[in-house]
Amino acid sequence: MDLAAARQCFPLATPAGLQNLERLRQHPDAPRWTHLVGDHVRAEDLASVEAFRASAQPAPAADRHQPPPALLDWIVRTRARVARWRALVPDVAVLERDWPSIPTLRREDLAARIETLVPEDEPLERLIVYETSGTTGHALRVPHHPRAVAQLHVLAERALAWHGVQVRRGPEAVACMNLHAQARLWVYPSLFSVWGEAAFARLNLSPRDWPGGMASAARFVSALDPGFLSGDPTSLSELLRLDVPARPAALLSTAVALAPPLRRALSERYACPVLDWYSTTETGPIACSKPDGAGDGDLAGLAILAPDLFVELLDPEGRPVPDGARGEITVTGGRNPYLPLLRYRTGDFARWMAVTGPDGVVEWRLADLEGRAAVSFRADDGSPVNPVDVGRALRGRFAVLQHAFTQEADGSCRVVLRPASGIPVDPAQVAAELRSLFGNGTPIEVSIDPDLGRGRDGKVVPYRSALGGAHPP
Amino acid sequence: MNPFRRTPPRSGPAVEQLTRRLAECPEEFLLEPRLAGSTDGHIEVAAVVADLLVALGSPEPEAKLSPQAVKVWTGTSPGDRNLLSLTLVAAWLCHDRTLRELGGLGPAVRRWLLEGLPPLAAVVAPELFVSDGDRREELARALLDALGLLPAGETQAQSADRLRALSSVERARVIEATRAQQQRARELREQMASERARQAAARYSSE
Repeated sequence: MDLAAARQCFPLATPAGLQNLERLRQHPDAPRWTHLVGDHVRAEDLASVEAFRASAQPAPAADRHQPPPALLDWIVRTRARVARWRALVPDVAVLERDWPSIPTLRREDLAARIETLVPEDEPLERLIVYETSGTTGHALRVPHHPRAVAQLHVLAERALAWHGVQVRRGPEAVACMNLHAQARLWVYPSLFSVWGEAAFARLNLSPRDWPGGMASAARFVSALDPGFLSGDPTSLSELLRLDVPARPAALLSTAVALAPPLRRALSERYACPVLDWYSTTETGPIACSKPDGAGDGDLAGLAILAPDLFVELLDPEGRPVPDGARGEITVTGGRNPYLPLLRYRTGDFARWMAVTGPDGVVEWRLADLEGRAAVSFRADDGSPVNPVDVGRALRGRFAVLQHAFTQEADGSCRVVLRPASGIPVDPAQVAAELRSLFGNGTPIEVSIDPDLGRGRDGKVVPYRSALGGAHPP
Repeated sequence: MNPFRRTPPRSGPAVEQLTRRLAECPEEFLLEPRLAGSTDGHIEVAAVVADLLVALGSPEPEAKLSPQAVKVWTGTSPGDRNLLSLTLVAAWLCHDRTLRELGGLGPAVRRWLLEGLPPLAAVVAPELFVSDGDRREELARALLDALGLLPAGETQAQSADRLRALSSVERARVIEATRAQQQRARELREQMASERARQAAARYSSE
């Protein structure tokens, strides 16, 4: 391995850590690694991770509709450094007096004018970027900081601890593998300094990625024995379908809603807790299921995980919805120095549900989380097709503003496109692009509708599948 | 605009009277000012200012210039040239008949010459305060504001609005702030597009 490159990626790496990394890189069943991605964690970052770890668990708020005083102070300080916040909050007195009148921000605001939301005096040297495709709208580039990414580990520790699981640490361990099931993906091994140089790998459960086919994928995961596995429901159902003989202490289901039958199947096969994890790239982890809902997790809702996020459920006018009513999950606070959040609408919806613990303390959780409805598609050979890949196929080469893609129970696909005005889209080319994902045996019908999404509410359901959500195979 | 002024301002001359006076500024006031230690310039600015202050009704001891004021109005480097030239134009303006008749304005005028003119001299060529209509009006209004005088025929709000709209210093500040913002936005876009940033950092889950 190029030691100099490794040092750049892992400033704190020790010989034992680098050896741990090599174990993954040179494993006989390793996938075709495309990159080496580091954690870029420095010594001073570890101190701030410690401080975050020591910060309080989320406490029941005195007033669920008003940010606590410490957060209001933070907003006033941050406002002085963020142009857009000064425009949104011309008078700081309003923060305390009339919080619901503060305008909200959404994904489109980040896409359009990110420079007005990044604090003006924040040094840019350590800026990194995550691209989040989302299943609606356009791809979004989110600025982030290695220190803030390192702090995310504390939230995984906390959620796993709720389920009685300890993170595996140290330079002999593999802490986690992150699973995907996509056509194309960066795959890489890494190390987490925060977890004592335990190793990590990002993997794609797709035959093209593995020189020895899926059998070597199964051997790789089983031999390296990761402490926990993370992945969206599509990837986790692939894990089941391939019957990968892993022995994780927990599974972390991310990105979209986890269907109860899939959770039960995973929990039975791997004999471990399956955590329903709610996180977005812009906000970091927000909430996670607790074990008291193990029998019926969806009814128990997701408990707020991050102590420095103020979570609201809002109506379209920015007012809190009544308890039990659905509202848009909206977040203030966070720890990303490049993207402080002020009433940021996630685009996901939920309702508040009170859960009384054995100690009599009422905890408010997010229930009936929507906007993350899982959709799964299948190619003609039965392999899964991720909506993310369909979105890329449609928007990557063609000037498509909006789309409505449907797969019927017989496997046939229909897509209606609204092209950008003045840039013609050739339906035959689109169909060819989709056939590269779904196979030549899949009937594909492409039509153009310049008025798609111009209805009263402007909303289009981008993906529908008669094959349903991600179910156990 | 002095935000701390409490008493309602006295009425002064009309703005047009002062802008006309600026337009009629004699050529001698536009000659090169003499810098200390140089024989190139024509006009001794410190002497012109001293005469002005006496004419405006400064008591004799106050009309005497402090060593610091003498230092400013004798100038030492070519960089002082703009301020000295503007001071000559301003001195011509302050000789206005109505201002002299009001009396007792010497100390306020001296303060304006020393504190009010440098920011203007830093952003506008002094000749423009004679040749350009907007700059003539700006200088006339800046003087009245500094002396606490309301332009004849105007309300306080009207005159404050008009001065703000004309302010070269404010405009220069806005341009500079805009330039800094654009520069920052460019740096941010470049950083976000860089290969190093796109490699990002490993995360245990992707959303």
